[in-house]
Amino acid sequence: MQKVGIVGYYQVKLYSDANYGRYEMIFEASRGALDKAGLKKKDISTVISCTNDYYDGRTISNCFTVEVGGGYMADESKVEMDGAHAVLYGLMRVLSGNHNLALVWGGSMASCYPYHSARLYETDPTWERPLAYVNDITSAGFQMRAYMEKYGVTVEDIAKVAVKNKKNAAKNPLALKEAQLPNLTVKDVLDSGIYSDPVTELMAAPPCDSVAALLLAPEKQALKITDRPVWIKGVGYSQEPYYLGDRDLSGCKSMNLAGKMAYAGAGIKDPSSEIDVAELFEACAHEELIFAEELGFAKKGKGAEINSAINGDLPINPSGGALGGHPPCGTGLIRIIEAVKQLTGEAGQYQVKGAKKAVASGQIGMCAQNNILYVLEAN
Amino acid sequence: MGRQVAIASAGFSEHASKRSDVSMPELVSEAIEDCLKNAPSVELGDIDAFVNGNMPAFEGSNIPELWMTDWMGARNKPLLRVTTGGTTGGSVAISGYYTVAAGLPGVDTVLAVAFEQQSQGDTSVGLASVAYGEISILNTLGIPYERISRLLSAGAAIGVAAYQATTYMNKTRISEEDLARVVVQNRRNAAKTWWAHLKMPNLTIEEVLDTPYVQYPLRYGMVCPASDGACVMLFTTEEKAKEMCDIPVYVNGVASVANESAVLGYDGSGSAQIDPSMQLGAIRSSELAYKQAGISFPRKEIDYAEVYAPFPNQQLLWTEKLGLFEEGTAPAMHEAGITDFNGELPVNCSGGVNSTNAIGASAMERPAEAALQIMGKASNQVPKTVHTSIGSGWGGSLNLITLMAMSDQPQRKWR
Repeated sequence: MQKVGIVGYYQVKLYSDANYGRYEMIFEASRGALDKAGLKKKDISTVISCTNDYYDGRTISNCFTVEVGGGYMADESKVEMDGAHAVLYGLMRVLSGNHNLALVWGGSMASCYPYHSARLYETDPTWERPLAYVNDITSAGFQMRAYMEKYGVTVEDIAKVAVKNKKNAAKNPLALKEAQLPNLTVKDVLDSGIYSDPVTELMAAPPCDSVAALLLAPEKQALKITDRPVWIKGVGYSQEPYYLGDRDLSGCKSMNLAGKMAYAGAGIKDPSSEIDVAELFEACAHEELIFAEELGFAKKGKGAEINSAINGDLPINPSGGALGGHPPCGTGLIRIIEAVKQLTGEAGQYQVKGAKKAVASGQIGMCAQNNILYVLEAN
Repeated sequence: MGRQVAIASAGFSEHASKRSDVSMPELVSEAIEDCLKNAPSVELGDIDAFVNGNMPAFEGSNIPELWMTDWMGARNKPLLRVTTGGTTGGSVAISGYYTVAAGLPGVDTVLAVAFEQQSQGDTSVGLASVAYGEISILNTLGIPYERISRLLSAGAAIGVAAYQATTYMNKTRISEEDLARVVVQNRRNAAKTWWAHLKMPNLTIEEVLDTPYVQYPLRYGMVCPASDGACVMLFTTEEKAKEMCDIPVYVNGVASVANESAVLGYDGSGSAQIDPSMQLGAIRSSELAYKQAGISFPRKEIDYAEVYAPFPNQQLLWTEKLGLFEEGTAPAMHEAGITDFNGELPVNCSGGVNSTNAIGASAMERPAEAALQIMGKASNQVPKTVHTSIGSGWGGSLNLITLMAMSDQPQRKWR
């Protein structure tokens, strides 16, 4: 794979109810990314956006974001998945040689719609949606239970992930204020109210408002724009079957396949020693452990044994992850941006010392049905 | 960087206003089967990745690919969903091209799937929020909801398109008869295309003009139907395509460019602010795609065109804006028979969107048919030999144009 560099990024702070118009937020993000790279609107050759009509509440919602997202008279398109998937399309466009600067933005305002009800439209319309027994919340419960039962993992182990991420979020000025909990304890997490047994409220990623953007450029161009580009060394993505009964919920096949594809591209043989920091999109706390195992950071069932604190052996989600705020369509993109910050040394209070290689992931679907993984490297 | 991309096959499902005999996934798998039938050496297991798309809000299903995974054979495969409204099919085809062109490890053969089962939802309701533009702006201007329908383009897509039709008619001084002539040509062509929806082999101009107005100048007999259907294209590398089919079709230029949304303009002051028949996005798209494909004289070099025209005025408009005819001359060219099945530059010999419109699939059916014409496998195959063809898409709020330029010769520009 040819080298493609991330040369600029911007993330609007996460709010539970932002005092922004939708277009203001998109403009701030796309303009912010250009300003950071010292570029102008005319330099953009292609724009990939990531929104979802069900979240925006109108058909073809992206046709009104053309101007604010920098897409006027640029070659543009929209990916309706996670922001991390939009980055993939931007990456493909740069790799094809047709484009030399791609702007990718994604996000939404979860304060304007009932997120979990909107997610119900992702379920099978004939068998599952009318009953609404299986949805993103209940399926997360099944997943956590399956994982705990199979490997004898305790609820406390999983609550510890939530405690770590919420504490990390307290160090991240852009994280959701309500998720910044520096004094959180395992007991608080377990007492926070059942979401879908055994998932409690503080174990689930809180939907919120934000838009994030980043810029991609081919190697030559990237080095002209900045002396600190972050290179995309590998990418992998995969989708597993829909029906929960067809899947082994104690693991995550799609993340496993995405990891294999990305590692093959980046030439990574031993992920646990080669990767310095991971930013994983965990819709619920237990997914962070499942993903870490599938990505080869620990043996199956031993995810909780990784020392994943900011100064640990393999820091996972030093920014607070999706538990620090989850703007639908933007979360995976923010994971990539956070990984970039770690590699360029711009992560401030939650900086992992000497990070050279990072992975970042995005997902959509019930129990992370479709996963995407990036391997990033500092210049 | 990049590599040559080729189309090895394309397939369709049968289109009708209500395909109640199949569910949405069954409709899609029908088109996939047809696509693989045209490339017998390819099996579902040979597909390395999928790209998908449909109009998100029409069937009331968000990201239906999630539960359709197994119906497409996409289990444990990479899958990307791209949607851009009316241009979805074109955008999916373009992302299929980019997925191959990017050269990601292990991804050579890509199945691009676009579909729509409009009978499962209410299309016009879905489109109302597009036609109304930014409702919140109207409220700040003091315009209440009940007055919106009188002020703006009532009637969803047709309401908006009527503005475009009248501005175009005003510029070219054409009559309704000229519009009806385009419809007659399309519907007669559709009669010879196996998968088309409105097949009318004996339609006349008088019959079209005898139908009532939906919105002046567009009559009931002139507008596209709402169809159920799916379209699938198989993209792969140059080497693999040669093994999969006799005549690979090389994708040499792609573009999808949008200008500002034409419904409300910048400040909610109405469609009149922007001329919806100006279509700067279409002009820019053709510039980009032709430049990539090395086409300098589109009028001379392009042998066949499939343009996305649900309404007859658009068929005339796009052929001009995409550089096939001089500004304002398309109606005369049409009347002279140049765009006929036997003509010098045949346009929309599949019957076009005017005869079959499964929205999410429509913009892919254009490049798919244009590719089949090069392969010599189209069901209404034109008598002349087609070397270079284009397929376009139109969508958004009158503002996004997708374009794919194809040829039987690869583009040797790869650096």
